[in-house]
This record gives sequence, structure tokens and C-alpha cells, in this order.
Amino acid sequence: MNKDNPLLPQVATVLDITSETPDIKTLRVAGKDGLPFEFMPGQCAMLSIPPIGEAIFSITSSPTCRECLEFSIKEVGTVSSALHDLPPGAHIGIRGPYGNGFPVDDMKGKDLLFIGGGIGLAPLRSLIGYCFSNRDQFGHIDIVYGARSPADLIRKSEIKETWPAEPDTSVYLTVDAENPDWKENVGFVPAYVSELGFKPENKIAITCGPPIMIKFVLQALDKLGFKPEQVITTLEMRMKCGVGKCGRCNLGPVYVCKDGPVFSLAQLNELPAEY
Amino acid sequence: MKKMIGLDKLPALWEQLSAEGPLYLPIEERGVVCFKPWYEGAVVRLDALNGVVPPKDIFLPREETYMRYQGGSQTLEIEAVSPGPDDKATLFGVHPCDLKAVEMLDRVYIDQEPGDSLYRRRRENATVVALACSSPDPFCFCNLFEVDPADAPGADIMAYLSEQSLYLETRTEKGETMLAKAESLISDAKDEPERPREVKTTDFGLYLEGLSDNLKERFDDPAWDNLYKSCLSCGVCTYVCPTCYCFDVEDFGHEGAGERFRCWDSCMFGHFTQMAGGHNPRPDRKERVRQRFLHKLQYYPQTYGEIACVGCGRCLRSCPVNLDIVQAVKALGGEAVEQR
Repeated sequence: MNKDNPLLPQVATVLDITSETPDIKTLRVAGKDGLPFEFMPGQCAMLSIPPIGEAIFSITSSPTCRECLEFSIKEVGTVSSALHDLPPGAHIGIRGPYGNGFPVDDMKGKDLLFIGGGIGLAPLRSLIGYCFSNRDQFGHIDIVYGARSPADLIRKSEIKETWPAEPDTSVYLTVDAENPDWKENVGFVPAYVSELGFKPENKIAITCGPPIMIKFVLQALDKLGFKPEQVITTLEMRMKCGVGKCGRCNLGPVYVCKDGPVFSLAQLNELPAEY
Repeated sequence: MKKMIGLDKLPALWEQLSAEGPLYLPIEERGVVCFKPWYEGAVVRLDALNGVVPPKDIFLPREETYMRYQGGSQTLEIEAVSPGPDDKATLFGVHPCDLKAVEMLDRVYIDQEPGDSLYRRRRENATVVALACSSPDPFCFCNLFEVDPADAPGADIMAYLSEQSLYLETRTEKGETMLAKAESLISDAKDEPERPREVKTTDFGLYLEGLSDNLKERFDDPAWDNLYKSCLSCGVCTYVCPTCYCFDVEDFGHEGAGERFRCWDSCMFGHFTQMAGGHNPRPDRKERVRQRFLHKLQYYPQTYGEIACVGCGRCLRSCPVNLDIVQAVKALGGEAVEQR
């Protein structure tokens, strides 16, 4: 973050852009000397293309990746569309990191259950990568990930090949509807979580996805016996400043950009549900 | 040391002070008084009540370019734009309520990490001359917020207007430095100024003790279902409020060159929280009206220990449907019921 003016971006280069799904692409972004800034999993960055504008995105890569930052971005608005259309080598503005990040110290020694839906895997992937790079600090890792169709799953080679091959790791994939090419589970993510029947003992569940998925995942986890303190999610809001001043992203007195975006369910239960 | 200056010498003082940097005074133009940079021939109204718009724009301008860019998609260059360190403004004639509001903005823009250097530099460089307020109008209710209309603790100089003179009481080194520059126009005060002590403002029958805490349980209170209905989403309450500080960030220019600026924005507008995908966490006027009043009455106090209102009365004067903070406090259980 620029010390003098936190709103001021630095110039970064988009190394390359990979298509993940029909509407999601991954951008690899580097500053002049590798990483534009140090960060922790779960933190966010403001990307901008002047004069189109600026928008906030979660960082998809792990801080243990030293060459660049990765952003898996869904095309939904003007900035995300413009980012999708950039050629390799294009310059963009970047500033950050913003937010609190995942409480990795509290997760050490615990089993982790990641539950992602669609583009919601983007912020989780940063933490997943961090855990794999520091594998001995964490217990068993379960990853449940789903999307509407097989084509809508992101990071296909990682979720299908790399991650299941990691030690002490189980990956469960699901899609919403039957598909001739699909051999794995069919069904919504929350139902699959219930069916898999994860035990809450010494476990932390980290979930991110569409609001409707999160809502039912929280119910499923509650039924499985997870306490609100054991459930962590990361929120998305419209943001302009990233430093708790512009006034958009508050939940009561808490600003998602600086006090979040990562919250435990116990914390969220104390705040107005205005997200 | 108390000093005084004859009212007839004020134009000379304005001229002298404005040579040092921008000098903001309550200036009347076409019947409207607002803080503006002094110019020769300006109608300065030290006797006027609060201007229509508070002087917050001196520290948090309505629009402010903080970045310039040039170059195309592979030659982008970004350059910071910031107020020069020599841009030493003087804010002359601000009333105690408005100065207290600026101190509330200081907590957000200076004290809360990371600080906002653009705001901080302007604020630190500025010299503030506060003016005692002797004739509040029926909309003023600053007494409720422990503002003394006759005294502003945060001022560099406290000024008192009498029939023939302006009394000046320096409070800080910055204030002394300012007066030293105008030595020839100023004399030692032989008598004490007649201080407008015990200035009473309107008592709307509000009772604020415990309100912020009680509101924590009233997010889903049925009162909100009625309160918001008259709101027109015009946003005037936020523009005239001295403690409102939300902003927007936008780009202006074309692919080869342009600038990025921030400008005042309003939580009363529908697009304020609307996300790119269409989802809006505060989709209707109910949620937006609730946000604004809870920010003043619960969220800000929860963070900074004080209700974010100074009783300046501007929302009472400006809201076209009388949906002002007094109405909100009354609807939310802040009406004094018992005889005290």
C-alpha cells in the first residue's frame, strides 16, 4: 500500500491471461520486481484500467508464489470485462493489499474443510495453496467444490490432478445437473456437504460462493455440529477506497474492506446481515 | 493574550491573510452564504448563521484529483497529485458546531489507519479561526451535543464579534503566528469582549443517553418501515451534513491520458452499494435511510465514542420532506418522555 496515499496505484503488467470457463479468466500480474506487494491469503487488491475504472478482487494465488499475483475474475461489470479483454503484456494499475486475510495462525494444527462454489474458489485457492506450501502446519484437508456444469469449474487441472495428489488431502467435486462427460457427484454443494457428513472435531470450515450457496452451506454445517466459531467465510461488497473511508462496504460499524473480508460465522451473527 | 481589531480594518486583514494562502470566509453571493476563498469586494458575513453547506469541503473537497496517468496499454505511467506542502489555508469564522464536526472527520481521515494524506496535509496546514455564535436560529440544537456556541476548543484562534470590534483570543502557536503577521492592524484588547455566554439552542425534547446502545437491538425495528417512506433519495442531507464524508472514485480522460479523482458521494443514492453483478446489499430507501441514521447514531459512536451529529440544523433546514435527524431520533426511542 502506498504509504503517502493509499488510493494511489502502482503500474503492473499482466503477464498472461488464461480462460477458465466461458465467463472466468485468470490473470497473472507482476510488478516491476515480481510481487507488487506482500500479502496474506484472503486479502484483496484494487485493479484498474484508466479511464475505465477500478474494482476490487480477491487474490487467487498463494503468497508462497513469488513471481506474480493471480486473479481469477468473472466477467460481470465494466472493469472485469475490460480486464478480460487485455492483451498479454498490458499495463494495469494495482494497489493493495486490503483486508484482514484468513486467520492462518488460528488454523494451524487443525483439519480444514474448504467449501467453494463457482468463482468462490478464487479466494479459497490462495489459502489452499498456502496450506500445501506449509503442509506440516495443517491437518487433513478436505476440499468440496462445485459449479453449475463441468465447464464452469475453474482451475480444472488443479482440482482434478494436482490437489488430489497432495498428501492427506481429499477433493470432492460436484456439478448442479447431470452431464454426459461428468463422472463425479451431481447435486448442489450444500447437499453434497451434508451427504459427505464431515465431523466438526478439530476442524475449521472455510466457505465462499454465491450467497444462496453460502446460506445453505451454513445450515448444512450447523446440522453437522459445526459451531459458528468454526465456520469462516469471505464477503464481497462494492468498494471504492479499500481503507474504510468511502462508506460503501460497512456491516454496522465494521468495514468489509479493512475489518473483513474474512469473518467467522460467530462474528457475522453479531452484525447486521446487510450483505 | 487577547487582541482586537476594528471592524473597519477587517478588509485590510483579509487582504493581508489571503496573501499567505487561500483565506476562506463566510461570503455572501446571490443571497447565499458559504465558505469561499476571499476576493476583493467579497461580501463577508461574519454575522451570518451557518452557511448552507458546511466548510468540510476545505479539507475534503467536493472533487479532488489525486492521480494523473498517461500512456497506452503497454506504456502506462501513473503520477501522484497532492496538495503542495505550502498550501496553507486559513479558515476564518467557522462556528463551534462546524469545527466540532471537522474534528469528527479528523478521526476517520487522520487517526484511523491508514490515514488520508491529502486530508491530513490540508488540515495540518490550515489555521482555524472559530467565531462565537451568538444568535442561533430555531433549527440549531447544538446544546444537545455539548457544543458551546460561544467556544470552540479546537480553534487556533477564538473570535468574538461585537458592534465595533472583533476580539481575538489565540489558543495555539499557529494562531499566534497568524496574528503576528497582521500586527499593524491589531491591538491589545483593553476590555474583555462581551462573551455570548449561555447561548441556548432549541430543545427538541430529545434524550440521547443510551440511544447508541439501544439501537444495536433495533436494526429490524418496525420504526424503519415508516420512517423512510417520505425519503426522495435526493441526497441533500448528506451534502449539507458536516459529519458526512463518503466519497466516490472515478476516472476522467481517454486511453492516452487523464486523471483519477474522488468526489463527494451519498449513501442515499441507489447505486452507492450496487455491485457489478446487480446485487445490492442496501437495495431500497429503507435500507439507505437506516444506514445513514444508524451511522450517525450507532456505528460512528460505537467506533469513536460520540454521536456523529453536532446539531447544526442543516438537515432540518434542507430536507424537503422533513426527514431529519430529530425526526429519526424521535422515531427510534430518543424522545424524552419523563419530566426531567
